[in-house]
Amino acid sequence: MAIALILLVMIAAYVIAKWRKLSVELCMLSSAVAGGIAGALIVQAPPLAQLARHLVEGTFTYLDVILVFCTATIFITIIAESGGVNYVVRGIIRTFYYKRVVVLLLLMFVILIPGALTGAGSISILTVGTPCALALGYLGIPKKRVAAILFIIAGLSAAAPPVNIWAMIISAGTAIPYVGFELPLGIPVLMLGAFTIFVLGWKRESNLELEEVLKDMPDVPAGMSMWRVLLPFLVFFGLVLVSRLLPFTLPILGLPLEFTIAAAVALLVSPKKLNFLILSRDTVKKLTPLLATMAIVGSLQQIMTVTGVRGLISFAVLSTPLVLLYILLILIIPISEGILTYGGAAIVGIPLVWFLDSMGLHATVVIAGLSLIWPLGDGLPPTALIGRLTIMFTKYEGTYWSFLKTTWLPWIVITIIGMLMIIFSSELSFLVRWSM
Amino acid sequence: MNAKITKILITVIVLAVLSGTAVQFYGHRHYQLPIIAGPGVTKVAMLSEYCESLEGTAADTHIFFLQGKEKGGKTLLIANTHSNEPAAILTALIFLENATLDKGTLIIIPQFNNSGSRNTKPGDGYPLYFDISTAWGSKKFRMGNRNASPLDQWPDPDVYVHYPDKQLLSFLDVRNTNRTWPGRPDGPLMERVTYAAMQIMREEKVDIAIDIHGAETMFPVTNCIVAPQKSIEIATIASMYVNAMEGFENHVEPSPGGFRGLSHREIGDHSDTMPFLLEAPIPFLDQPTGPKTVDLLLNGKDDFLLRLSEQKKLFVPYDETGWPMEKRVGQHCSVILEIMNQFSLANPDKEIQITNVPKYAEVLENGVGYYYRDPAKVDKNRIYKN
Repeated sequence: MAIALILLVMIAAYVIAKWRKLSVELCMLSSAVAGGIAGALIVQAPPLAQLARHLVEGTFTYLDVILVFCTATIFITIIAESGGVNYVVRGIIRTFYYKRVVVLLLLMFVILIPGALTGAGSISILTVGTPCALALGYLGIPKKRVAAILFIIAGLSAAAPPVNIWAMIISAGTAIPYVGFELPLGIPVLMLGAFTIFVLGWKRESNLELEEVLKDMPDVPAGMSMWRVLLPFLVFFGLVLVSRLLPFTLPILGLPLEFTIAAAVALLVSPKKLNFLILSRDTVKKLTPLLATMAIVGSLQQIMTVTGVRGLISFAVLSTPLVLLYILLILIIPISEGILTYGGAAIVGIPLVWFLDSMGLHATVVIAGLSLIWPLGDGLPPTALIGRLTIMFTKYEGTYWSFLKTTWLPWIVITIIGMLMIIFSSELSFLVRWSM
Repeated sequence: MNAKITKILITVIVLAVLSGTAVQFYGHRHYQLPIIAGPGVTKVAMLSEYCESLEGTAADTHIFFLQGKEKGGKTLLIANTHSNEPAAILTALIFLENATLDKGTLIIIPQFNNSGSRNTKPGDGYPLYFDISTAWGSKKFRMGNRNASPLDQWPDPDVYVHYPDKQLLSFLDVRNTNRTWPGRPDGPLMERVTYAAMQIMREEKVDIAIDIHGAETMFPVTNCIVAPQKSIEIATIASMYVNAMEGFENHVEPSPGGFRGLSHREIGDHSDTMPFLLEAPIPFLDQPTGPKTVDLLLNGKDDFLLRLSEQKKLFVPYDETGWPMEKRVGQHCSVILEIMNQFSLANPDKEIQITNVPKYAEVLENGVGYYYRDPAKVDKNRIYKN
C-alpha cells in the first residue's frame, strides 16, 4: 500500500509537470524527484541524505549508450555533410529503380546489418537511416511509411543475431548460455523484415521516370566517389568485424571509439572541407533532448528501484495468472521498453523467464520471442528511442502518433509471431538445437 | 535578465548536487575495510605476485595463507567474486580471523573483484555501505557491484568474446569475474584477475577451490553447491551431510558444460583443482522486492517475496523470517567445512584439519559479528586495509 502510494505520487508529479507544459525529460525528472521524496518520507528509502546520490547515480545507467549516440551521430553527419549520403542514394536509385523486389530487400539488409552487429536499432538509424530513407522516398513511398519501415526494421535489427542486448541481459541474469539464438532470432527477423518492407513499401504513390527522379535529387559535390563513401563504413564495420574475429589479438576499442575512428576517416576523405567543431557542436545540440531522456530514465529507474516501485511492478507481473499474463505481455513488454529501455529486460524479463522456464517452456525460445516484441516499445513514450531518432533522420513532419499508427500491421504481426514463439517454445526448441 | 538568473541558479544547484554526490562516491571508492589476519594466518601476499600486470591496478588484492602445522591438502577460498553478494566476504572473514589449521593449507582471497567492491550499480539503488553489529561496535563494509568499475576497465566491447572458447557473452561480462575464467595474463583487467587465481591453483597445487556467491530466491540455481563432474561426488556427500546432521537443505547442481567463463566450469577444465561454487539465497537481489534497504540486505524479509512464495514461485523455502545474513553465512561456513572434510576422507594423504570455525547453528545463535575482532585491540601489523 505504501509503495502504491509512492507510485501514485510519481504519476501525479509527471501529470502536473506535463500540465505545466514541461518537456518529457523534465516531466520524468519531476516524477523521479517526487518519488524519491515520497519514498524517503513513507518507507525511509532512499534516506533523504542519499536522495541526490541516487538521482545522480541513476544518470550513469545508460552512459555507454549516450556515448554511442554522440559518436555515431557525428560520424553519420560527416558522411551526410560531405555529400556521401546523396551519392549513395543516387547510386541505388540509378541501378535498381525498376527492380522493386531487389531494391526493397537490399535496403532491408542494409538497415538490418548495423543493428544486428551492435544490438542497437538506434545505430541502424544513426548510420544508414538517412540514405535509406531518401532511397525509399525516391521509390515513391510516402515519408510516413518510410519512417514506419525504418522504425520497424531498425527494431528488428536490434533483435537480430549475433548481438541481441535483451537476450544477453536475460541470459546473464538467468545463467542461461547466450548460445543457440541464431535460428530462433534470425528466421523470424528476416521473415518479419521482408513482410514489413513489402507491406509498407510495395505500393508506389508517385510514379516518376528515372530521369525525372535523378534530376530532382540533390547534387553530389565534385570529387565524391564510391570509395570516399564506402571507406568510413568499411573502417567502422571492419573494426566491429575484426574485434569479433581476432578478439584475443586486438585491444578492446568499444563502439564509441570505433565510430570516432570511422568519423575521422570520413572527415579525411571528404571532398568538401568541413568544420568539425561546428559540426559536432550542432550535432550534440540536436541530440540533447534524446541524451537527456536517457540520463533521466536512469534516474527514474534508480528511484523506482530504491523505493520498491520497480518491485511492485515486477510483483504484479509475476502474480498474474498465466493465461492473463500471455495476454498482458502484448502490452507489458513494449511498455516496459518505452519506460525503461533495456532496463525492462532486467526488471520484467529475468523473473518472467525464470517463471516461464519453471512452467516447462523452453527458455531460449521464450527469450527470442520476447526479444521480437521488446523493440516495438522503442516507439513508445516516454523514451521512444528509435521512434524519435526515426522522425529526426527521415525528417518526417507529421505528428508522432500519425507515424506510429502507420506501423500497426507489422506491429500486430510481430506481436503474434513473438507470442506464438513463447507459447510454443517447447515445440520450436529444435531451432536452438540446429543453431548449435 | 530573469532567464539568465534562472539559468545561473539552476547551474549552481546542479553543481552543488554534483559536488555533494561526488564526495560520497569518492568516499565509497576509497573506503578501506580493515581486514584482520587471525592467529592462523602465516603469510600475506598480493594477487599481482601471480600476475605481474595487476601490480598498481585497482584489481590487485590481498591473499591470506593459513599454513597448517603439518602438510596436507590445499583449499582456496574466493569471496566477493560478485561484490553485491556480501555473505561471501562475511564468511571469508570468519575463516580469516578465526581459523587455525593443524593439517593442510587454506588460502583466502576475501575481495576477489576488488574493483567491483569499489563500484556502485547505477539503476539498481544499492546502499553504499552496510554495517554488521559486533560486541565492540559495528564493522562497516562497502556494498559493491557485480562487475568491476568502468573506471578501472573500460571500454567494454560491443560483445564479450570469451577466452579461449570464443563463446559470445553480454558486453558487461567482460567486467564480471565469474565469466572471465580461466583468464590470460595480457587480457582485459578482469581476465588477469582470474588468470592470477588460476596461477595460484597451478603453482600452489591447490586441491579444492570454493567460490562463494549469493543468488536470488527466484533463480533456479540458488541455495546449492554447483559442481562439475570431477567434484560432484564430494559435493553430493557434503550436501547430504549438512542436510542430515545440521538440518538445512543445500542441494547440488551440475555445472553446465556449454556455459563458459564460470569458475565451476573453467577451474576444473584448466587445472587439477576441484571447483565448487556455493550459492546462498539473497532476497535483496530479487527483482520483485520492496524498498532496497540495508535491512532487506541483512535480514532478507520481504512481503512481495512472501506472497510469491505462497504462490510457489520461489526456488527456496521462504517464510516471515526471511533469509537473515546469519543463516546464509552459517550455511556457507558449514558447507565449506564439510567439503574440506569429505575431501580429507576421500584423500587421507591430503587431509585438511581446521579448527575454530563456527558451524551453521553457532552462527545462527551468535550472529555474524560475534566472530569479528576489534581492530582497536589487535596488533596493527595484523590489520590489512583492502
